[in-house]
Amino acid sequence: MKLDPSLLARIQFAFTVSFHIIFPTMSIGLASFLAVIEALWLKTKDPLYLQIYKFWLSIFAMGFGIGVVTGIVLSFEFGLAFARFAEMAGPAIGPMIALEVLTAFFLEAGFLGIMLFGLHRVGPKLHFFATCMVAVGTLISASWILSANSWMQTPSGVAIHDGRLTVVSWRDVIVNPSWLYRLPHMVTAAYLTASFLVAGVGAWYLLKGKHLQFARRTVALGTAFATVLIAGQVFIGDLVYGTMLKHQPSKMQAAEGFWEKKSQSPAPYYWIIVPDQPNQRNRLAVGIPYLGSIWLTHSLRGRVEGLQNTPRDRQPRMGMVFYAFRIMYGLAIVMFAIGVASLWLRLNGRLFSSRRFLWVLVLMTPSGVIATLAGWYVAETGRQPWVIYGILRVADAISPVPATTLLSSLVGFICIYAVFITAFLTFTIRLIRRGPAGAPPHAEASGSLKNAFRPHVLDKPIRITIGVD
Amino acid sequence: MDLPLLSALFVTFALTLYVMLDGFDLGVGILLLLQPTKNSRDHMVDSITPTWDGNETWIIMAAITLFAAFPAAYSILLPALYVPVIIMLLSLGLRGVSFEFRVQTIKHRRKWDMAFAAGSLVAALMQGVIVGAVMQGVRIDGTRFSGSVLDVFKSLPLISGVALATGYTVLGAGWLILKSNASVQHFAIRGLRVASPLFALLFGAACIYAVNIQPGIRSAWGSHPIALACLVGLFAVCAGMLALVPMKTVPVAPFVFGLLLFVDCLAGIALIVFPDIVPFRVSLWEAASSSVSQQFVLIGAVCVTPVVLGYSAFAYWIFRGRTPEEGWGE
Repeated sequence: MKLDPSLLARIQFAFTVSFHIIFPTMSIGLASFLAVIEALWLKTKDPLYLQIYKFWLSIFAMGFGIGVVTGIVLSFEFGLAFARFAEMAGPAIGPMIALEVLTAFFLEAGFLGIMLFGLHRVGPKLHFFATCMVAVGTLISASWILSANSWMQTPSGVAIHDGRLTVVSWRDVIVNPSWLYRLPHMVTAAYLTASFLVAGVGAWYLLKGKHLQFARRTVALGTAFATVLIAGQVFIGDLVYGTMLKHQPSKMQAAEGFWEKKSQSPAPYYWIIVPDQPNQRNRLAVGIPYLGSIWLTHSLRGRVEGLQNTPRDRQPRMGMVFYAFRIMYGLAIVMFAIGVASLWLRLNGRLFSSRRFLWVLVLMTPSGVIATLAGWYVAETGRQPWVIYGILRVADAISPVPATTLLSSLVGFICIYAVFITAFLTFTIRLIRRGPAGAPPHAEASGSLKNAFRPHVLDKPIRITIGVD
Repeated sequence: MDLPLLSALFVTFALTLYVMLDGFDLGVGILLLLQPTKNSRDHMVDSITPTWDGNETWIIMAAITLFAAFPAAYSILLPALYVPVIIMLLSLGLRGVSFEFRVQTIKHRRKWDMAFAAGSLVAALMQGVIVGAVMQGVRIDGTRFSGSVLDVFKSLPLISGVALATGYTVLGAGWLILKSNASVQHFAIRGLRVASPLFALLFGAACIYAVNIQPGIRSAWGSHPIALACLVGLFAVCAGMLALVPMKTVPVAPFVFGLLLFVDCLAGIALIVFPDIVPFRVSLWEAASSSVSQQFVLIGAVCVTPVVLGYSAFAYWIFRGRTPEEGWGE
């Protein structure tokens, strides 16, 4: 079999970026969650909040570490395997990522040390400031990277002469047509991810009858955040859908599973299809009658536009886009149902006692991560065959690197990342099993900036050893 | 204003900070290989834990500025350096996660420490290979890399790989002499006594070899003989000071001279490479992106870099003084 460098380069990028995005998704959500928890602690002086903070901080720290090291890989990968893309897109997205490094990465890195190890050195107020800076850093980072990725989806503000790209308007490059919709979509996804993580772990403790105070507080907070967020996300998701339908119709055509230029009327909403791309038809399609017309055209008998509206050489692979979209959308429906159920149970005072509901929360612990990954698969596979939509094809973007070299590096990434994820899961599960450690006997809420300048006053630090076997 | 030149200066600035800061982090990691005592290893890692992340960020800054301001150079150099860059990234990854994972376990901490040390060592070796490969020159055809990805594994890159790893060990030892307790300090002093003459020797050998194989370097000596001779002189002085200075009484001295040694080497390389961005092949003006892109990066860099340096210095200030025996607290 002859190896195709373009396919290997794509698999390598898909693998490394998919692995990476899991961790920033959790970090963006958990950083803001930790900032909220620390604010509540400072305001109420309730040591329970400090306990929650410290417990989730140790998981956050591991996830953040993996996010950093797998993110560095990406900044080199543009050039390593996609040299022609780097050469062309460098003038537009390079400066945005440079600003991301300057305004976000350094901010996170500079204050992360204080957040993780500095409570006793700087006192709670400045420590809270550090937590906020890390959280703000994750959001600034998301803003720049979503802007860069959205520019690849809906490029604007540039001119191309002889294959060289120049920026005409930075405003149009940064505020490209899809950024302002996709950014809140991603941030809300990250917040939902953290909410379900927090609620899921709390629910597991309730089911086991352990750490009840901690569990009740986190289940209450997690489900409350999730309920508000999923309501917002449904609305934002609809806006994103509309924007992409307008600017990148081929993606949404593939996501809905219809081939014909105009679908039958009334259109069903497909849940299972077996697409036959060469013959431009479905071998099998199972759906709910009328629902496609109602959801997609907001009428009872409207027809939906199929993928044949896009010329064949500009079509994405329907199967990938369709199923990624169904996974994301399906999970969103389940999340919405959980939000409604949690409101009902909260009003009836059964939020912490309905075992069935708690089991659902436990099962949903990783749902945010899965939905976010699926969403990114819609975005990225739906943009194919383009790397910069309408401007540069992936096949023309590849570096002059032999296929065997690409295969070796792909195997290297898979092996090393397998170590990362195994260790991360092992240690996270162990931390969860062990449960939150007791809050310190006297919560040191009295410190101030003074301590930062007088480290000798920090006598014996009160050590909470979370996570030592 | 000559924007590409300013961008190139910013790339140089970011790279210099990276080498100085992550250099000592990687050096501490390499020394971990030689440290048999668990408590001392904990102490060594504790000394860099709160600030390593910011240090490593400078390499992303350098790479991304190259991507933004000199996309043509970025798209030639990275495919050419594919193998060492990938190995470096995997090693840096292993080193980075070991910070978080080693504290999660006592039973397997030694394994994570070895992963930490191996990651540091291999990353340092690969960075040296990259420097050597760039200095020996890459083959290009128009704006594309046209050589083989295995061209990098020749004598010069291999010598400079070992040289850079030894150099980082000097920095790491200097940092530990400044920041650690008496027993680790003693260990670091012994390490420095071996590493610094070895580094001087290897670096000298790499330079002489490079002059022999790369005509571009010979012609650079022809055009700046005095400046380069001064740098060689400064190198000798710093290396000599590292051998002579009383380390116990002036614990900051080895670290400062180690840093000076590196700044000196980087200045020499910059002088030889200038005005190229792909050495001896493509000048920085040929590879530059349009001035709109340059302006964006430079305005951002001028406005934000002072703030970044400010709070990074603040983080170092918070964790100043010798590393506490029991770590930094939670």
